[in-house]
Parts: sequence; C-alpha cells; structure tokens
Amino acid sequence: MKKTKTKAPKQKMSGKKLAATIYRYRGFYLMFLPVFVFAIIFSYLPMVGIRYAFTNYNGIKEPVFVGLKNFQKMFGMANFWSAFTNTIVISVTKLILTTAFAVVVSLFLNELVNIHFKKAVQTILYLPHFMSWVVTASIFSLILAPTNHGLVNTFLVNIGVLQPDKMIYFLGSEKWWRFSYYLINIWKETGWQTVIFMATLAGINTELYEAAAIDGAGRWGKMRYITFPALANTILTVFILNLAKVMNLFESAFVLQNDAVLGTANVLETYIYYQTFNSGAIPNYGYTTAIGLFKSLVGCILVLTCNQWSKKVRDGRGIV
Amino acid sequence: MKAKTKSKWSVFRVVNGLIFIILALIIIVPMWKILVDSFDLKTAYGMKLWPEKFGLDGYKSVFSNPTLYQPLLISFLTTISGTALALVISTMGAYVLIQWNMPGRTFFANFLLFTMIFNGGMIPTYLVLRSLHLTNTIWVVILFPALNVYNLVLLRNFFEGIPASLFESATLDGCSPMQTFLRIVLPMSKAALASIGLFYAVAYWNDYTHYKLYITNSDLYNFQMKLRSVIMGSDMPQTAGDATENTVKNAAIIVVIIPFMVLYPFLQQYFVKGVNIGAVKE
Amino acid sequence: MKKKLVSLFLATAMVATMAGCGNNDTPASTPASNGSSSESQAGSSEQTPAVAEVEKPDSITVMIDGTVPTKENYGDEFWKKYTELTGIEVNVIQPDHDAYYDVVGQTIAGGDWPDVIILSSTYYAGYAAEGVLWDMTDAYASSDLKARHEAKAGSAGVVDSLRINGKLFGMPATHGNGCVTYVKQTWLDNVGITSVPTNYEEYVAMLDAFTTGDPDGDGVNGNTFAVSAAGFAGKEAPYTNYLPEFYQDAYPSFIQDENGVWYDGFNTDSMKAAMQRLADAYAAGYIDPTTLTNGTSDCRNKFYSDEFGIFTYWAGTWANNLKTNLEANGLSGDLVALPPIAEVGAYVDRITPAWCITSSCENPEGVFKYFIEAMQDGGDVQFLFTYGVEGCHWSTAAETLWADDEAKAKTYAEGEFHFLPNAEKPTTAYTKAHIDPMLALVDLEAPANSVTETAKNAQELFNANCKSAFIVPTTETMSEFNGDLTTLKNELIAKVTMGELSVDEAYAKYEADGGKAWSDAIVESLNQ
Repeated sequence: MKKTKTKAPKQKMSGKKLAATIYRYRGFYLMFLPVFVFAIIFSYLPMVGIRYAFTNYNGIKEPVFVGLKNFQKMFGMANFWSAFTNTIVISVTKLILTTAFAVVVSLFLNELVNIHFKKAVQTILYLPHFMSWVVTASIFSLILAPTNHGLVNTFLVNIGVLQPDKMIYFLGSEKWWRFSYYLINIWKETGWQTVIFMATLAGINTELYEAAAIDGAGRWGKMRYITFPALANTILTVFILNLAKVMNLFESAFVLQNDAVLGTANVLETYIYYQTFNSGAIPNYGYTTAIGLFKSLVGCILVLTCNQWSKKVRDGRGIV
Repeated sequence: MKAKTKSKWSVFRVVNGLIFIILALIIIVPMWKILVDSFDLKTAYGMKLWPEKFGLDGYKSVFSNPTLYQPLLISFLTTISGTALALVISTMGAYVLIQWNMPGRTFFANFLLFTMIFNGGMIPTYLVLRSLHLTNTIWVVILFPALNVYNLVLLRNFFEGIPASLFESATLDGCSPMQTFLRIVLPMSKAALASIGLFYAVAYWNDYTHYKLYITNSDLYNFQMKLRSVIMGSDMPQTAGDATENTVKNAAIIVVIIPFMVLYPFLQQYFVKGVNIGAVKE
Repeated sequence: MKKKLVSLFLATAMVATMAGCGNNDTPASTPASNGSSSESQAGSSEQTPAVAEVEKPDSITVMIDGTVPTKENYGDEFWKKYTELTGIEVNVIQPDHDAYYDVVGQTIAGGDWPDVIILSSTYYAGYAAEGVLWDMTDAYASSDLKARHEAKAGSAGVVDSLRINGKLFGMPATHGNGCVTYVKQTWLDNVGITSVPTNYEEYVAMLDAFTTGDPDGDGVNGNTFAVSAAGFAGKEAPYTNYLPEFYQDAYPSFIQDENGVWYDGFNTDSMKAAMQRLADAYAAGYIDPTTLTNGTSDCRNKFYSDEFGIFTYWAGTWANNLKTNLEANGLSGDLVALPPIAEVGAYVDRITPAWCITSSCENPEGVFKYFIEAMQDGGDVQFLFTYGVEGCHWSTAAETLWADDEAKAKTYAEGEFHFLPNAEKPTTAYTKAHIDPMLALVDLEAPANSVTETAKNAQELFNANCKSAFIVPTTETMSEFNGDLTTLKNELIAKVTMGELSVDEAYAKYEADGGKAWSDAIVESLNQ
C-alpha cells in the first residue's frame, strides 16, 4: 500500500483562499497550540540568552558587550581544533556504529519465533542503557585492565594471542582508546536503539509478507524488499536527529578519559570543562554561551546537509 | 519445494537463536559483576562468578531506608503524569505535522526542529523559569521534559504510515480533526505509542538534571535523586556497617534498573508483528 | 529551501519581538534588596559614630551545601535548635551537593542573594574580586573569635590562608584536612619491617618488600603491588596529596617563593626528579599499573581486597572507615599512619570552604557576630554544629543499636555518648554534623568516646605534621592558558610515569607544545 502524500502546492494561494484554508484547518491549529506554547516557554524564551555569546557575563554584573571576542578566544585556544575534530570523528562514528548495529540486531530479532525468548533477549539487550556512565566506566576499567583481573586481556593471553607481560592497556593508550570507546558505546546503546526499530517493524503490514512469499521471495528477499525499506525512513530520521546533538557529547567521554589519552579522547565539551575547571576563575557565561552557539551552528549545518542529501536520494523527502 | 524451505528455516532459526544467546551473555557480563557485588558482603576488586559471602544487607540498606519512600511516590507521580502529558501534546503535535496541505505546516515543523539545535544556555533558562515561578515546584519537572522534539518527529514518522485513504474517508464522514485523531490515528499507532511512551517514561523516571538545577526543596526530590546520594554519597566518611559501601552501592544500582526489567516485557505485546493490522480492511 | 529559510527567519523574528515586549529582563546589576535581616533603624539600639552597636538580626537566609545536615539528616531539627539557642530564624537554601555551584551561579545571576553562603576557594576568590562578598577583615580583627583562634595552634594560619591581599572575605570553620599515608600493619609484619620508613630510601625498601615479597600472606611472591592512587596527579590543589612520597618537595603548579615571587613548580629540577622517581617506581612494579584509570572507589575496593598495602588517603574519620571496611572483608584493620618522611616534610592541609557574607546582606556586622562567630563559640552553638541535635544525631540514652544484627549490635549505658544511625544509611552512624571535631579551629569540650581511637590518632598525626595550602590569585592570562597548560602537564606526568616518555623527552614536548610559553606568561601576570 503506497503511502500517499500530496505535497503542498508551490504557488502562493490568493489571500481569500488562504483565509478559507486556514479556517478549514482551524481544528489543527488548535491542536498544535499546546506544543507551540511549550516550545515558546521552554525553548524560545531562554533562547534570547544567546545574545550573551557576544558579551562577558559572570552573573554578577551586567553583561558587557565584547562582540566576537569570545569566539576569537575560543578559536585561539591551542587544542580547540583538535578537540573539535575529535568530537566530530568520535561522535559521528559512534552514531553510525550504534545505529548500524541496532538495525542489524533489530532485523534478526524480528526473525525470532519464540515469543518468550524474544522478550527475554530484548530486555537483556536494552538493560545497559539504564546503567549510569560512571558505573559503566568503572566496570569497563576493570574488564579492560592490563592485569590478571582484566577479562579481555586474560582471555587474549589464554588463547595465545598475547604475551602475559605484554597486556594491552586499552583505556590507557591512545592507540586503543577510541576502539574501546566505540565498543563500550555499542554495548550500552544498541539495545535501546532497537526499541524504535522494533516498533517500526511491528507496523509492517503482514499481508505484504504473504504477498511476497506467494511471489517466491525467500527470507533474504523479504528482508531486502519489504523490511529494510520500511525501516529506512526511521533509520534516516533517527540518524539525522541525532546529528543535531552530535556536538553535545560529554558524559561518556568524560568518564572514560584519563590524562594519557586526551590527545585523541578530548571532545569539545570535556575540553571546555577542563578549561573552566583549571582556569581558577568563576565561569564566564558569555563564553560558555558562545561555545554553545558554535556547537549549535555546527549541528545545524550537519542536519541541513544531511537533510538535503536525504531529499536528493529519496525524491524530495527530508525529515520534515 | 516446501520441504526445502522448511529445513532452511530451521537451520537459520537455530543459528539465529544461538547468536542471540551469545549476544545476551556478552551483554550481561559487565552487569553481572554489579549483580554479584550487590549480594556480596565482602568487597573484592575483580570479577567473580558468585558472591563470596552472600548477604542481602545491601538491599536491606536500600529498602529499609525510610527516606526513600516518599521520593519513590513522587517518582511514580511525575512519571505517570508527565508521560501522559507528554504523549498528549506530542501526539497532537505530530498529527498536525502530517497535514501536508495545511498552511504553515513547514513553518511549524521548522519551528520545532530549531529548538533541537539551538539552546539558550543554563542561566537564561533558569531566569525564565524563575520569572514564571516554576522553580522549586513539582511543575518544573513535569512540564519541562514534556515536549521532546525528537520523540515528536518519530511519532510523526509513524503517523505518516497511516494510509491517506483512511483520513479521506473520515473527513468525508464529517469527522472533525480531533475525532479523526481519536478514532483512527491513535488506535493504529499502538507500537508507536508504546515505544515513545517508554522513551518519555524513562526520561521522567531517570530525570535528575532538572531536579539538581531547579529544585532545592528536598521534599520534592524523586527516587533517582535520593538513590544518587546513596550511590555517590560514600565519599563522605561515615562508619561503615556490615554491608560494605560497595555492597550498598551496587544494590542501589540494581534497584534502579529493576523497574525497566519489569516494564519492557509488559510493553512488548505492542511490538508484535502486524499489531496495527486489522483496524482497516480496504 | 528558500521557503524554509524564510519560515526559520520568521520564527526568529517572532521570538525576538516577543522577547522585546516581554519582561524577561537581564538580572539586576545590583542585587535585589534582601529584606530578611532586621531593620537596624528600627530604633531599639543606638548607633553612636564612635562605637557601633551590632544589632542581632531576626532572620537570615543561608545558602549551604551538603556538608551541613540536609533535611533527610534532621536538617530541620538542626536549624530549629539553632534558633532556640540564638533567637535567629534561618531560611535555608540547600541545593543538591553535586549541583551546588551551578545553583550558586544561577542564584547570583538571578539577583536574590542570600545573606550567608558557603564557597570553595575558586568561587571565594572570584566572587571576592567581583565585590559579591562583604569584607570581614575589620570585624574579625576586633572579634573574640580571633582571640579564640590564636589560642589554638594552627588555627590562625588557616584563617590567614584565606586572606586575599591581607583582606578576609570568608571564615573557615575547620581545617581543610588533607591526606596521610596509611600502611597495613599485617603487611609490615609479613615482610619483617619493624620500624616505619622515615626517609625515601627506607620508603623504597618498603615498596620493594611489598611488591617482590609476600606481604598478603597468600604464599605467592610478587602478586601484589605496594601503592595505588586515583590517578598520578590530583585534579584539585594540592595536586600531590595522593602520592606525596614521590613528589616530595615538587609541586606541579604555581607557588610563591620566600620573597613572594610566583613561579611554576613544574619548571623546577625537583619536579624532574619527582617524575623520575615515579617512573622508576612504576617500572619496578611498585605502583599499581592501572593507577591511570582508577576511580577513588575502585582504589578503595582494591585496598579492601588486599591488592596493595600503602594508601594515602584522608586523615581523621576515614582512618576508621578504612579499618572497618577491611575488617568487614575479613582482613586485619590495623593501619599505621605514617609521619611524613623527611623529604616530604609535611602533609598539605587544603583550603577549606569558607562561610561568607554577601554584600547584599543588610546587617553584615550582626550576621558576622551572631552567626559566623557563634558557630565557633567554643560552647553550645559550636557543639550543635559539631555533634548535631540530641535524639537525632547523638544520644546519651541507654540503648542498643542495630539490635537485630548480632555481629554489629552496640549497647550503650546510660550517659554514654554515642552517635545515632544515619537516617539515609541506617547501617552506619553519624560522625559529625558540620564541623569535624578533630578539625575544629576552636577547642571544644568533647564528649567521651565521640571519636574512635583510630580516627583520633590518624588526625592528630596529620595535624601535627601539616602545612596550609594557599590560594592562587587568578589573572586573565591564567584563565586563558591554564586549562591547556594543566592538561599538558598531567599528560606528561602520566606518560613519564608509565614509561612512554623519558623525563627529557617530556620536557622537550613541554616546550614544543607551548607549555613553557604559557607557563611563563602566567607567571609574569601573577608577579605584576
């Protein structure tokens, strides 16, 4: 069954016609009102504070206009750009990996037949999401430790891949840190991400499968022509929406970082955190707002770019 | 031909099942240590298969703590009311966003998306909340998380999948937008409502950021806030009881996870294949 | 696309106009007048120009963190008792401990400043510089409290450590406390060490015995290591307090020499020597190989599981805590608190958070006299702040605590002072209200048995062997460069210790990455 969606007409309607249409849709405007009010109160009113980005403001005195000085300061910080690139690389890779894993797991979870087994597996898979990052870091420091206590290292030694005195300090070496980080994230977030994909899969009309079976499609054919396309929209939406938040990466990196790996592990938010913490001064909210604004702009660019690409690839449909 | 397909299925099924068993075990391993430690009265560094000295003192410490009961109630209150509110406004908002011919639809969509990307910052948000007298009340934690644009867009995606013909026939029958919404959209979106409802519920239940920043009256604290002081509070010295600090901490961590272990299997009935079918036959 | 941009723009314009019409104004530059202190012009006491009568405030607003009893820990009863003793109503704002400084920042920005606020050294120095805090130098100089501080050794020094250019903006209630090195007695016995090390050579000998010998008595040599910590360098001043024997006289950040000239301790030879010591010890296996990624509780857990034997941790109550946890794990809880070895000289007493009066307070002299001074009056109010409320935090009634647990039950006779179970953690007991009795700056008659022997001994040893930390003033240059500089220093310390870089390579990198330049710039700005 084709989902039909007529696009809004490109030409502007005449005033009278417009008024009539608006009147016709009045019920909908009313339904949108609560959302609108919430957005104004909790997002747009505070957004006025973005102007602090162009000021020095410590919360005590009136903000002092300084133009682009905060931005100059930010871009002039020695390790700013390395932190910035780290953020983009780590965050986007993490997003791609967790989404991809979640999709694959969802597809195969969908094929499980025994309901009880399926429920049990799904529950287990999504539990790590509810552990806090602090606890997760503590556990994985142990699992990845370069000592006899470290499960991974002992395992590698037992199967002969590693020499006992050459254990790998996964979280302590710049070489392995990102790899470990991605693995930990996959462990933690994959299960949770499957929830939305499973919900989408549940909505697929079973008649489609029956029709495909009659046409001679096997399991892989069904997956390729029915299941996956049905998921595509959700996958793209999830991916693009998460791109908006890509620069906000903080907690997971913060708890897993240590002094030796900051070269590759420092992301923008953690970098700023150390800056503020070690500057010996009280926070300059103007400066933090400037950073926030910069992050938002980057997120905005990412979202718009991907949205454009999505439109090209899927005949004019973006996530909006 | 039929026999061939059958055997192909079972091999696949077995392999698939095995892979998931292995996957589930791997996922459990890190959490196993927490589980074991929560029952273990001896602190040990390192992974163990079983507790060395089994004891329920960790859990006793957490559950017998009278200061946790009110926060638990508050958590239930805010989660249930918050999720209800959030679902109501998000579903209505998402429904409006699929009215392709409505003037201003694109504007509304961008209006919402913009809030996902741009943010005023901590101080301006606080000042707005303060001027509305929402700080230090229970309302800030119920209202603030109610609009989550991410969830709203996902809902909209689900609603998009509802056949347009249904809407057309409803309008022809003279249904108002609200009636169409209630009679067609909602019943056809069980999986969506279950999953987005879960997202909101988890957000409300786990919320502590809004508490930390906007509420100083500890009578209003929720379960998560209280447990955090149990989990993290042990950097402040107190004479340790028999349940070593480690045991209590780990017991508290497990207690936080339990509601979700129980909840999801319950919701999974909505994730069954073809759950939306049957509502309409062309 | 164009349509989208237009709608985006319209949305923004709409919001901007709404904001313009709305009353969402910027926070007041001067704080809103705080009408909570009593009006001193109510006329009851005279104020002659020569001798100002200090009026007692009727009520004050205080903003405090989790170090003062919270509501769950009988906070309401605490403040009620305070009002009973002093006649002053207290309006308490007590944010969650973790978000304290976020809330402080918000509250200050919002304009409703409290009368009294607890601040840690960074915020103390920063807010003092911005005029948020009331200058209490004169009030203190002519106060009885000063005399009481001078009567107790070490107290005046703590107050002095909070002076900024001679002026005082906040009052410490206790010593900041610091870390002392604990060594397991059983480990010493098992390797045959009979006297504790007094210098570094002996210390290293102990490290070696603990690592290569069999100190844990499990029959296996070499499966232990001697010392561990949560990271090689601390995150807050003083940075060396977890591994003092290795750092000795080196200090990785900014200090003043005898002439008051600032310099960067990282650039000195003693720092290079310290890093070499760390590297040698780590290579020999004396230091826990996972120190880099240890959290503080991981560290403690390893200590309780007998993984290592030397732990530099907080003096005082923690001594008893470590002991009971070890015993709960079936190990001996006998710990020796080490006096600082010769090369270390003294342990460092960190800067304690200060009780400050804000400049919006209407009766600061009154608040100073009746709140700040009273807290350390050597009498009832100090007793309240130290031990808490009878029946809530402590009791002298004859009773048995934890009666249902045979192993843990404690019976007390009538009149015997004992702390009551912690309301949030009922299997443990309170050890103080706000002021740790062992860290107080003013002597107070302590009830018998109010502190455990273990804790007392450890604390006394620390107090006898400590020196105060100091506040580093902040400059523009520092806030510009110190973040990157500290990150670089920590990275180099970690890499040298773990053997990835030699000391010389590290210092070459230090120069190459701009560390030396930043450091010099900051030092220059401090010395201006």
